[in-house]
Amino acid sequence: MDEITLEAAPVLGGANLEISGNRIVERDDLAIVSIATPLDGQDALAEALRNGWSLDVPDPTRSTLSGEVRAIRTSPDQMLLIFPHATPDAEATVQDRLAGTGYTTDQTDSWIVLEVAGPDTLSAMERVCPLDVPSFEIGGTGRTVMEHMGAMAIRTGDDSFLLLSASSSAVSFLHAVETSYRNVT
Amino acid sequence: MIIDHPLLGPRDAAEFVVLGDASLIDRPDGMTATVEEMHDYAYLRDNPAGDHRELWYHEQGDRSWLVVTRSTLTHEVIKVELARNVARAQGRSR
Repeated sequence: MDEITLEAAPVLGGANLEISGNRIVERDDLAIVSIATPLDGQDALAEALRNGWSLDVPDPTRSTLSGEVRAIRTSPDQMLLIFPHATPDAEATVQDRLAGTGYTTDQTDSWIVLEVAGPDTLSAMERVCPLDVPSFEIGGTGRTVMEHMGAMAIRTGDDSFLLLSASSSAVSFLHAVETSYRNVT
Repeated sequence: MIIDHPLLGPRDAAEFVVLGDASLIDRPDGMTATVEEMHDYAYLRDNPAGDHRELWYHEQGDRSWLVVTRSTLTHEVIKVELARNVARAQGRSR
């Protein structure tokens, strides 16, 4: 039998669009691991996060950043850790440093991450995202619905966001974001 | 309708799913309750004209359960609390 070699491919084929000076890029280099807080285990988890990554536990609607590792608050007892990671063992590497102080689940392939940036980004976001994104501070986050698809937005700069949405509807999500940019440029 | 989430601020009702009367928090102990108590819990609801406490789930947000006090006459949202805080205030462990 022939040797079969499988090669991993990005969900959106490594999308990289330029729209009148704005850019939409698929970030397929990022690993996503969710961390849930055990009952009454907030302090131990916060300490493990500080020792492991020099990260503070983010407040609701906020994210914290240390180097290239970002923690995003998703619910009262849960956060996402997003960081560049090439191999499919992100959950194990996070759990190594947490040493049981949080419940971890690898969510890398469940989400796609779009990095959007450029001068028309706020206008485009206002039209596709029901949250008041212009009022977000840098590092501010929110989870909502865009064009009926669940999504998360993280403001990374004055004119740039990370957008997370389900990989199963990634093509439609990219289309929604791209259309919003085309409508304002 | 805008629901002022206690942690996240004002959010559109489209992000939420409504379950109904907040008395659903007070489920009787199934091992000791009588059939009548379980029946009343499962089927009987007040239908007030005025303030109504309801359970809402922030499905397209932070997945929290909320107790929303809402006027059925004006649709005004009067109070929004985390359901777990309401339950804990009633003596539940979580």
